[in-house]
Amino acid sequence: MKARNSLLMTVGVFLALLAGCAKKAPPVNDSEVKAGFEKTLPTTTDDPVWERAPLHPAKLLLQDMVEPRLMQGSTASVNVQAVSDGQRISFRLSWNDPTADDLPGPGRFGDAVAVQLPALTSPDVPAPQMGEEGKAVEITYWSAVFQAMVNGRKDEIQAIYPRATVDHYPAEAASLKSGSAAQQNMEKRYSPARSLGNPMAGPRKLPVQDLIAEGPGTLRLADKSTSSGTGKRAKDGWTVLLSRPLPKGLQAGSRTQVAFAVWEGSHQEVGARKMRTAWIPLALGASQ
Amino acid sequence: MARVYNWQIGREMSYWYPEQRPKRQFAAVFDTNKCIACQTCTLACKTTWTSGKGQEYMLWNNVETKPYGFYPLAWDVNLLEKLGAQNWDGQRYAGRTVFEAAQAGERVFGWRPEDIDYAHPNVGEDDCVNGVDKGAHFSGVHNSWFFYLARICNHCTYPACLSSCPRASIYKRPEDGIVVIDQARCRGYQECVKACPYKKTFYNAMTGTSEKCIACFPKIELGMQPQCFVNCIGKIRSAGWISKPEHARPDNPIDFLVHVKKVALPLFPQFGLEPNVYYIPPVNVPRDFLLQMFGPDVDAALETYRNAPKDKDLSGLLTLFGSTEFIVAKWKRADEQVMGYDESGKEIVRVPMREPTHVRQPFDAARNVARTNIS
Repeated sequence: MKARNSLLMTVGVFLALLAGCAKKAPPVNDSEVKAGFEKTLPTTTDDPVWERAPLHPAKLLLQDMVEPRLMQGSTASVNVQAVSDGQRISFRLSWNDPTADDLPGPGRFGDAVAVQLPALTSPDVPAPQMGEEGKAVEITYWSAVFQAMVNGRKDEIQAIYPRATVDHYPAEAASLKSGSAAQQNMEKRYSPARSLGNPMAGPRKLPVQDLIAEGPGTLRLADKSTSSGTGKRAKDGWTVLLSRPLPKGLQAGSRTQVAFAVWEGSHQEVGARKMRTAWIPLALGASQ
Repeated sequence: MARVYNWQIGREMSYWYPEQRPKRQFAAVFDTNKCIACQTCTLACKTTWTSGKGQEYMLWNNVETKPYGFYPLAWDVNLLEKLGAQNWDGQRYAGRTVFEAAQAGERVFGWRPEDIDYAHPNVGEDDCVNGVDKGAHFSGVHNSWFFYLARICNHCTYPACLSSCPRASIYKRPEDGIVVIDQARCRGYQECVKACPYKKTFYNAMTGTSEKCIACFPKIELGMQPQCFVNCIGKIRSAGWISKPEHARPDNPIDFLVHVKKVALPLFPQFGLEPNVYYIPPVNVPRDFLLQMFGPDVDAALETYRNAPKDKDLSGLLTLFGSTEFIVAKWKRADEQVMGYDESGKEIVRVPMREPTHVRQPFDAARNVARTNIS
């Protein structure tokens, strides 16, 4: 009897310890994205704040409104959590994706996610698909390809094809002093997108882009880069933290709409070929 | 989709945008019979435009050996197989173009090559498959055939790349019809790579954008021909301007070859893009293959080309190929000489129909040496 009691006690202590180590599952909110007020915004995807921030499982739909459309579904849903300090809003987005796609190349596409908010807070919301003329949407876009570069992947062909050999790049000619104006000019000459400041061209410091759209096909870089973010790969999916200032007119305690999109690179999803949500109500918690 | 007229298929067709032709259209004629696949054109282009990081695999200009050479792999046979029957009813195409065959959700019927498909240009294309026995020699009818196909962007009147881009990052320059990708606007979706049936747009993994042949427009703006034209040692190419068939001018070299003599034909006109690089078909290739590749006018074109020695205007104009770095906007033959003129009518080149022959004696008495080259 004594031995049995002691075994039960041991099991009890073990279970109590296990419960203490396990992260608390956040409460689920099916109807809206609720961004609770936090004095300090989290900077990581495993901050304890995410244990209490309500989780909204956002169902993803095919982008089948404008060509080129996505005709076959892939990612079913994205789990959304949000918190705000009254100035900025941070989203924690996680979704299942068994293949990590972060290498660019011909016929290769990276995994990505985006958050879309109306540029102006008004009951008359823009069209959920990239907004519409005169009713802009602001988009924060994270890409696994960008993240890999920020994480240190070198900006050279061998980083993508390790066995690639190149005879010669004119910008690396012995006659050009490394870093000199002449050398940099030569580099630009063979990289027009880079010399024009195209945001798709590296090198890059951030894995995110601030974008604005007024309808499909109108996406452009915002005048200022104000978002930040980071993405982490787990065995079966991605978890991404995105943080951006609240859109104009939005403050603690107010409401707007938010939409999300997920691209599955191995499914050749890129641009308009994506899984996306409709507008989802977004409620900002009041400051305490 | 709009309805547009494509004279190469003899009918109206569907296209994403309404018909809007440029003020004038860049065009070219390539004589496949003269090409020796030396790849000087390929290197001229490569060193001029695609020597940067991310461009390693790109060949805006390439020369492949038909029927078994491709860049990228199977670029033509893949689409030919997927597109279905491509019959002609006389001069009118009875099948579907890549725009008409577009499936639900697509702007263009296309396919996307993988990176490996670009990896081995020209490898094995010209190799003799079996060993050759000692003393073997050819006799009788030669059943084997091949020819070299030099390819650049066709700067199509109805570009599939332009049509497919959801961001409208690709445009046709109104002043010369050259098709370019706006490198500031492109976001690298590769829709153009999927859509172009000729596979002449390329994704650059270092810049995150797609890039393509720009017909050396900085040279065109100076009245000069592109690099791949002027470096061609076989003198197979001539660049210029093409008119619509009803406005063809016999004194315009491209119009003369394409519209008047009909000796130069578009590549795969059935795709529906109205491509603006025209080919004089190779003479020793099975007719069915050429019919599929160049359309229903191929018999007449070959007949005309075979008779070129008797046609002083045609053979005269062909001697102007590769004779000048400048664009020959107009031409004229006077007896045994052919003249090329620029836009203003200024003579830029004059060539004899037949080069004078100089014969040197086999022995140089002054230097007391035998000459090895005496022609």
